[in-house]
Amino acid sequence: MKSKYKQRFFWGILLAFIWQLTAVSGIFSELIFPGLDQISIVLFKSLQDGTLIKQIAFSLSVIAQGLFLATIMALLFALTAYFSSTAAGLIDTLTALAHPLPGIALMPLILIWFGSGRMAILIVIIHSVLWPLSLNLSTGFNSIPDIYTLIAKNYRLNKFEFMYKILIPASLPYFISGLKIAWARSWRALISAEMLFGAINSLGGLGWYIFQRRVFFDLPGVFAGIIVIIMIGIVVEDFIFAKLENKTVKKWGGLK
Amino acid sequence: MKKYITIIIIFLSVLLLISGCANNEEASQQKITIAEQYGLAYAPVQLIKELNFLKAADPDLEVEWKQLSNTTSIRESMLAGEVDIAFMAIPPFLIARDKGMGWKIISGLSESPLGLMTNREDINSLADFKTDSKIALPQPGSIQHILLSMAAEREFGEVDRFDEQLLTMSHPDAMNALLAGREVSAHFASPPYLFLESREEGIKKILSGREAFGGDFTFIVGVSTEQFYEEQPQNYSNFLEALGKAIEFIDQKPDEAAEILADNYNLEPSEMRDYLSWSRMKFTSKIKGLDKFIDFMAAESYLEKNSYQYSELVFEENLAGEKAILEEGASQNEE
Repeated sequence: MKSKYKQRFFWGILLAFIWQLTAVSGIFSELIFPGLDQISIVLFKSLQDGTLIKQIAFSLSVIAQGLFLATIMALLFALTAYFSSTAAGLIDTLTALAHPLPGIALMPLILIWFGSGRMAILIVIIHSVLWPLSLNLSTGFNSIPDIYTLIAKNYRLNKFEFMYKILIPASLPYFISGLKIAWARSWRALISAEMLFGAINSLGGLGWYIFQRRVFFDLPGVFAGIIVIIMIGIVVEDFIFAKLENKTVKKWGGLK
Repeated sequence: MKKYITIIIIFLSVLLLISGCANNEEASQQKITIAEQYGLAYAPVQLIKELNFLKAADPDLEVEWKQLSNTTSIRESMLAGEVDIAFMAIPPFLIARDKGMGWKIISGLSESPLGLMTNREDINSLADFKTDSKIALPQPGSIQHILLSMAAEREFGEVDRFDEQLLTMSHPDAMNALLAGREVSAHFASPPYLFLESREEGIKKILSGREAFGGDFTFIVGVSTEQFYEEQPQNYSNFLEALGKAIEFIDQKPDEAAEILADNYNLEPSEMRDYLSWSRMKFTSKIKGLDKFIDFMAAESYLEKNSYQYSELVFEENLAGEKAILEEGASQNEE
């Protein structure tokens, strides 16, 4: 684990060095290839005067809301599909139809139906998360060994107890890997939706921040936004999800 | 060992990138690439294309027309050396010039009516906008945004009064949203969207571009990169001549021009004629209001520098004329 970060650190420094060298050498105009010094100045300034913090908070709050709503919906979908084969058919059809569709392709429709504010971004996130997550959950539910369900019958658990005590814990590895996919997809969807919807001038999230920098011809600002996106991606995937896995499925021996 | 291989691969790809860029530049030497946008204000540019004015000047010249959807992407393609000549409003040009982009104005193209259109009965002036009514315009830093800020500054002394309620939308999207009456309460429109919206019932104009600016101003100018100007002076001159011919043609024979351009804009010839001769729709190579834009944008820190020599902004060989004409335009604005 430690050596992974050592390696990343080494390569990161090397790449940054090459970057800076290229920038300083003047092969490319400063306008299309800004140096790391310029980028970090803009990054620092935007963080300091709060503009960037505001956008980060907005993006994270929308994505948290979207993930929460989509997870609940996906759980409901997967559970109804598990208990009723008619519903399973319907949900399977819906998933097959909607899963391959990128949220951005729906943009014109969303614009007409929901306008272009926070709501529109939320819809794109829910769309990008709901289908893969319910697919994963369904797979998880259906791959529970028969012996577990037989135990439930032995104990005469009712449906809710069965759900709460057996179904959900037993499929947790699938749930968490589903969440990981959901996060990755929704994070990408969020940034592109923010860039496209142009949301509201002052508060439109990180994608909007990048778009605004671009419009004002501020390439170091664009890079500052990109760096923040990378950082948040790394933190969430490497720390939050890794912690979650360690605390749950790895500890319980569900994951090898 | 592995490390070295990776390092070699990285260096090789950097080298490939550099040589790739070099090739592009070479290729652009033999032809001229012009970026176009949709809108009535660009009519003379369409005329150059339809009447082959460039081919007439130099039959060997290869002309490429690039359809791009917004000013920002045009600016970026010019920076990448993919576009030689483009047309846009003055503020986006100034923003990039201020950041150090090597480009200048070659000519004025058109003056045009602009208008802030609303679909709300209870809004009759800027003062009636509540904080939750959204105003759609192409993007921050666009001429529409600057004009709105100018009006806000004049009427309320707050430049950013409406900044919290702006929505970035392309003109067609904004028009649809305005007509549907959802989400958007107002749209800062340019022709032909302005004309289409003004024909709809329940939609009215509460602010014109002229009122916002406080005088006449050039809506669209032609711009080119210093690189193109220096490396291909002949092509530059040819283009300038063609542009001059096209502007004169539209100005003097609007009916004939409407006939030619109707198909291009997907309109009936009669409709096209109405649009081209709409009041305050004017095709001219003169540049008006440049100084005032600079003063305002520098005062509100859209620009860092607040004074420019005319020669820093406009090429020596141009259609707009000497500085005298610029000043004349500016003094008209102050009336």
